[in-house]
Amino acid sequence: MPEKMLGNDIITADKINKTFPNEVQALCDFSTRVRRREVLVIIGPSGSGKSTFLRCLNGLEEIDSGSIVIDGVPLDHKKENRLEIRKEVGMVFQLFNLFPHLTVLDNVSLAQRLVRKKSKKEASETSMELLRKVGIPEKANTFPNHLSGGQQQRVAIARALAMMPKVMLFDEATSALDPEMIGEVLEVMKNLAQEGMTMIVVTHEMGFAREVGDRMIFMEEGEIVEEGSPDQLFTNPKKERTGLFLSQIL
Amino acid sequence: MIIKKKKITRLDVILGLLILAIAAYILYRIAVGLQYKWDWAAIPQYLFRYDEERNGWVPNLLMQGVFTTIRLSLWGTILATILGTIMGLCRVSHSLFNRLIGWTYVELIRNLPPLVLIFIFYYFLSGPIMSALGVDEFVKALSERTQGLLTFLFAPPSMFSPFLAALITLAIFEGAYITEIVRAGIQSIEKGIWEASHALGLSRWQLMRAVILPLVVQRILPPLAGQFISTIKDSAIVSIISIQELTFQGMELMAATYLTFEVWITITALYLILTLSLSLSVGRLEIYLRRSES
Repeated sequence: MPEKMLGNDIITADKINKTFPNEVQALCDFSTRVRRREVLVIIGPSGSGKSTFLRCLNGLEEIDSGSIVIDGVPLDHKKENRLEIRKEVGMVFQLFNLFPHLTVLDNVSLAQRLVRKKSKKEASETSMELLRKVGIPEKANTFPNHLSGGQQQRVAIARALAMMPKVMLFDEATSALDPEMIGEVLEVMKNLAQEGMTMIVVTHEMGFAREVGDRMIFMEEGEIVEEGSPDQLFTNPKKERTGLFLSQIL
Repeated sequence: MIIKKKKITRLDVILGLLILAIAAYILYRIAVGLQYKWDWAAIPQYLFRYDEERNGWVPNLLMQGVFTTIRLSLWGTILATILGTIMGLCRVSHSLFNRLIGWTYVELIRNLPPLVLIFIFYYFLSGPIMSALGVDEFVKALSERTQGLLTFLFAPPSMFSPFLAALITLAIFEGAYITEIVRAGIQSIEKGIWEASHALGLSRWQLMRAVILPLVVQRILPPLAGQFISTIKDSAIVSIISIQELTFQGMELMAATYLTFEVWITITALYLILTLSLSLSVGRLEIYLRRSES
């Protein structure tokens, strides 16, 4: 694969701390930067704070201290900033979280119409285009419950893309899927990365991480243990803990 | 799903016969023990009567009562649903003040006997507030056509302000239960749905209107239907402040004719027609709303 050109920083997270009410410290002085078109893969054992970090990036969790700036907009207590950031940051969840009362087409169109204020016709056209992109245009008028897990997750990706986000966050997007459906979702994610989408991917799919990731972070107990290119982490980890974790998971 | 073929077992036959025997015994006691003279022929004239002036059939006491009950229940349900939705939203609000308002409302109303509420609201609303607002003067000053419309939709001008008091009481009373249904419905929505809506950048109002409330309606329809039926039944308590709904008319008619059994059996049938038809149509609506799940 030819070396891709990364742009300037789009996400800056500086020394963020997050402690949950049950006293579990999920993030501990966590800092990282993400550049435009970069695919950052985060791995780590469960409870290491990977998902919490993603959820902090679009304000689903509030940070206790530190700062997050996305494309020049600081994520602070101002409602407008938070909504602004959420417009530009798409998120895909482990359990899809589609709206069960809306058809696939309406799921993808909803935010375009309400947030981006597009007309019904315009939104539907964009939605159909995205459904073609994720490979299920024929399901446009189906309700989510009639779809397989893989199809639902692809709709969820289309729904997030419909906002034309600058960054996409994937929170264990394939963990809840049956093995035979993981491939179709990873394929969509791979295509997105090739188109130059900035992505942060929390995953256990090491093959995907190695093939698509530009950079990889291994974290544990809310802190970065090691970061580097996926190849380096896989073949030549500097920390013993990284090697141990990867040997367990592979 | 496996559907078992329904069979009538020996136990069903025995139970059925037992029920028939009890019913027959009660009727026997009424006929023989009470020396009761049935006079069903007297009832129809109280449903509809022939009006010489208008040269046609017009509703008489009982049917007038049915219509008043329908008016009370219909407007009461609409008001209670609006109130219940607002208060339900208050109960899950981020603001402590709003939550306190919702909590106080529900606990105050649910923990008082409806009869007490009726009296309190009747004397407070119908007395000082309605006259301070000039409701009676307002209604009497309206044109004859508007008064006619008000009579059709609510009550005749002479009864307008007690009707309004009864209506508001009923709505406030039922609204407290609807508040709790709405609150439970909102809280039953999975966390993931909220998060997905937030992540798409929807404002709180947008996500409530476009995502949460439609899902809530789908889920709470069965308990809500039960509450709507309750509204029809509970409307009977306003007979105590002389609103001439079905139960009130029944008492009047019984006092005048002494046809105790005929009157109350007729009224039972009339209430059942109202409540059962509502319950059947809500069942239909539920199937329609759940089409996304089947």
